[in-house]
Amino acid sequence: MLQPTNVPDRPQRRVGAWWGPAVGISALGFYAAVTTEGSASREIGYNADHPWAVYAFMAALVGLMGYGFVRHAGLWLIGRPTPGLLQEIPHRLRNAARLGLAQDKVRRDRYAGIMHWCIFSSIVVLTIVTAQVAIEADLPFKFLHGPYYLFFSFYGDLFGLIGLVGVGMALYRRYYSDFHRIRWDERLEDHLIILGLGLVLLTGFLLESARILVTELHQHPDWAKWSFASYAIARGLDVFSFSEKQVLWLHTWVWWVHIAAAFGWLGLIVFTRLDHLFFAPINAFFLRTDSPGRLAKIEDIEQQEVFGVGYIQDFTWKQLFELDACVRCGRCSEVCPANISGQPLSPMHLIQDLKGHLANVGPAIQQHRHETGELGRELSSVALVGDVIKDETLWACRTCGACVQECPVMIEHVPTIVDMRRFLVMNEARIPATAQAALENLEMRGHPWRGTALERTTWMEGLGDVPIFDGSQEYLYWVGCSGSLVERNLPITKAVFRLLGEAGASFGVLGQEETCNGDPARRLGNEYLFQILAQQLIETFKAKNVQKVITNCPHCFNTFKNEYPQFDGHFEVLHHTEFLAGAMQSGKLVAKHTVNTTVTYHDSCYLGRLNGVYDAPRQIINMVHGANLTEMQRNLSKGLCCGAGGGNMWQEEVGERRVNHVRAEEAMRTGAESVVSNCPFCIQMFEDGVPAVHPEEEGRMKPFDVAELLEQAVFGPAAR
Amino acid sequence: MHIVVCAKQIPDPETPPSAFKIDAANNKVIPAQGIAPVLSQFDGIAAEAALRIKEANAGSKVTVISMGAESAQAAIKQVLAMGADEGVLLNDPAFEDGDSHTTATVLAAAIKKLGNVDAVFCGRQAADWDMGQVGLLVAEDLGWPVAIIAKGVAMGGAGLQVQRVLENGFESLETPLPAVVTVSNEFGEPRYPKLPQIMAAAKKTVTNWKLGDLGLDAGAVGKAGSRLKLEKLFIPEKGGKVELMEGDTPQAQAAALVARLQADKIL
Repeated sequence: MLQPTNVPDRPQRRVGAWWGPAVGISALGFYAAVTTEGSASREIGYNADHPWAVYAFMAALVGLMGYGFVRHAGLWLIGRPTPGLLQEIPHRLRNAARLGLAQDKVRRDRYAGIMHWCIFSSIVVLTIVTAQVAIEADLPFKFLHGPYYLFFSFYGDLFGLIGLVGVGMALYRRYYSDFHRIRWDERLEDHLIILGLGLVLLTGFLLESARILVTELHQHPDWAKWSFASYAIARGLDVFSFSEKQVLWLHTWVWWVHIAAAFGWLGLIVFTRLDHLFFAPINAFFLRTDSPGRLAKIEDIEQQEVFGVGYIQDFTWKQLFELDACVRCGRCSEVCPANISGQPLSPMHLIQDLKGHLANVGPAIQQHRHETGELGRELSSVALVGDVIKDETLWACRTCGACVQECPVMIEHVPTIVDMRRFLVMNEARIPATAQAALENLEMRGHPWRGTALERTTWMEGLGDVPIFDGSQEYLYWVGCSGSLVERNLPITKAVFRLLGEAGASFGVLGQEETCNGDPARRLGNEYLFQILAQQLIETFKAKNVQKVITNCPHCFNTFKNEYPQFDGHFEVLHHTEFLAGAMQSGKLVAKHTVNTTVTYHDSCYLGRLNGVYDAPRQIINMVHGANLTEMQRNLSKGLCCGAGGGNMWQEEVGERRVNHVRAEEAMRTGAESVVSNCPFCIQMFEDGVPAVHPEEEGRMKPFDVAELLEQAVFGPAAR
Repeated sequence: MHIVVCAKQIPDPETPPSAFKIDAANNKVIPAQGIAPVLSQFDGIAAEAALRIKEANAGSKVTVISMGAESAQAAIKQVLAMGADEGVLLNDPAFEDGDSHTTATVLAAAIKKLGNVDAVFCGRQAADWDMGQVGLLVAEDLGWPVAIIAKGVAMGGAGLQVQRVLENGFESLETPLPAVVTVSNEFGEPRYPKLPQIMAAAKKTVTNWKLGDLGLDAGAVGKAGSRLKLEKLFIPEKGGKVELMEGDTPQAQAAALVARLQADKIL
């Protein structure tokens, strides 16, 4: 229905295209090779005294990997069963291919994307090269001769070189550039991995050069040229006029170093983050296939012994598995609004702390489980929630999903954090005072806004007849607690109401019968309260025959759309920007008036990143004559949270800065006159943040909802 | 140590002003539509004080009692969810429309009937009528010592050690048991109930005592026993009146203003 708009900086497949040139060059090489004269070949295992050593190394590696896998798997299996992991297999296989092999997420950082592709493609191709050598040497198939041998020499060198480019890029980033995130948790293994790979590739070239120097350079220079890089090195070595004996001696030693380095490097897979080689694509297969905005339902909540996750073995085994996939790249923490603001949460460190805790207490739990069959929750001497992961760390999370979005190995941090919050709230009742007040208010009054003097019908004053939903209308216009009980949001609610009317929508509201749909309770960890509120509201909706809902608030939108189906509440849900953009496109709503203004648009996490609605609000802005949209640097799926998500609307922030101040600064930097958003929380955060960061520029920038902007364009600037 | 917490269910103090209505003819507050009554906040704090003593002294027990309508069960359940052991609802039409004195009579009778009570904790006042009398009158009826407006209370010394809030600081007292303490908001926030306790509380049955169970005379309680008579219940009207000072010159207007203020004895 919606047309794509002119949206800048949409993440695109950039590095995927690199396979194109690489395959192209290889194809040219292939063409050249098959059209060349055909007796070329070489002795496999040339000058190697102990070719059996390769198989000894290989056997050791396989044994080591087996041991490593069993050790890991034993730890994962102390977790709970993971439901639904083998459903939707085609979707999961696509994920494994797209995110695991094609590495869509790695490419979200362009430099790292190119670097990683170089290393990845090089390892894949060189493994194939090596395998062919092994087949040629030890199996009856003989195919490394003639044109194919020349082509084989060519692409082996090409991808060796590509690998070295990748290693060079990695070395530059790690040792020369001022690039922080990979140093947030730097370990010895990080140096070993990159230097080791460099050593393997360089000795590979040296080995090849030494052989060429002795067997091809002078005898078959036309063959040798196909191994173009090694040929060049051989030419260089030739200048020194080494004796054949010296070169063979060099060849032997380099062979040993190369083989030992290669297998040693592969052995790192067992002990280091190099294990992402396997775990990343597998974790891509395990990645959820439903909306990232949905939190898991605790089934039969009244029958639970422990609520949420307070002990490592209460995570699902998938949650434990993905701890091992973490490569400490720091992308999650780099985009985390809490971390950016100096607040006590870094998703990467959280995952690493959990991994460390699993390694510490896992084996004892595993053994206890094996011996007694009991869960062994009492075995850990340190508390998972409180000691290993601090309360304030869990509370700092905005559930904005930026970490999950960026994670190149598909770790889902947010559900893990919320699981531990659930334990804090339901099991331990350890809650920051203001968040507690919001939860108590939800229980007592059905809305989170303690101390409001407004009623759910206050916004209707002066609007004449507001239709109450009775099942005869097409849409329920869901105003929400923030839309009706927070002074600032009333004009937004009125604007949406007037625009719906103007667009000729058939709709009604619930008025006094609205109650919170439970989103704040769920995000704050009180799943029990959420389930009660959700079930009540679903009953109300069903009793009133609600089919389609238009919401003011992206949080209500997400809950209705993604979470109510868990409770058999299936409704068609639209955010007001989606409905209004559609109405404008079909000509039902016309922006007659010019509104000369520059605006910047803030993507709310729950509409944007978690539900993929980026275009509709921008389309509305673009269709308002005179409105000029300038984007912030962080936008679309990389947009920064306003700071209110995950129940942080009702919490005191702990840390160096407030998230909304950081975001307000980013908005002000665009020079726009207003920051336009789509969420009552975001608007409130900007109302607070904009005057706070630049008090001297008071009034320069005003926060508005998209609907408020559109209201001016439809009804004229004097509309309000 | 057996502590009784007296809890009252009141109309929600956060009822929006526009939804607060009274029946002027009968001098009664009309319960706001769709707004559920809540536990008086000070009573929640009294419960917190009692539960902390219970936790610090093994073998202790907390009983919550409430005089009120059937709906006051919810207030009792809330304190049970916080960790109280038993709940008693004092519900009888005869108890209705009384004053602080008759409420204290009913509560004191229930406390005597419970027996073996070492201390009674009340909120410093109910957050609806704000009288602050019931705790004192319960102590009077029981003949026990009383410490009001406490910001701290713990076992110790002769029985209980209490810090009372004064206008310019606080005073520390010691009282033998049994005693009555009324607890103030300075004590701290009541706890958030843990889910296992909420579920356990939901399963507990609340004892229901009527007039006859307490052995009270109908004439001593409720409206019949009330010594306080409500003359008139009304919502105060807020308004402003503007009067412009006459005068041809600013001096004359200033003189008129002075004269006006003097006439009202403001100057």
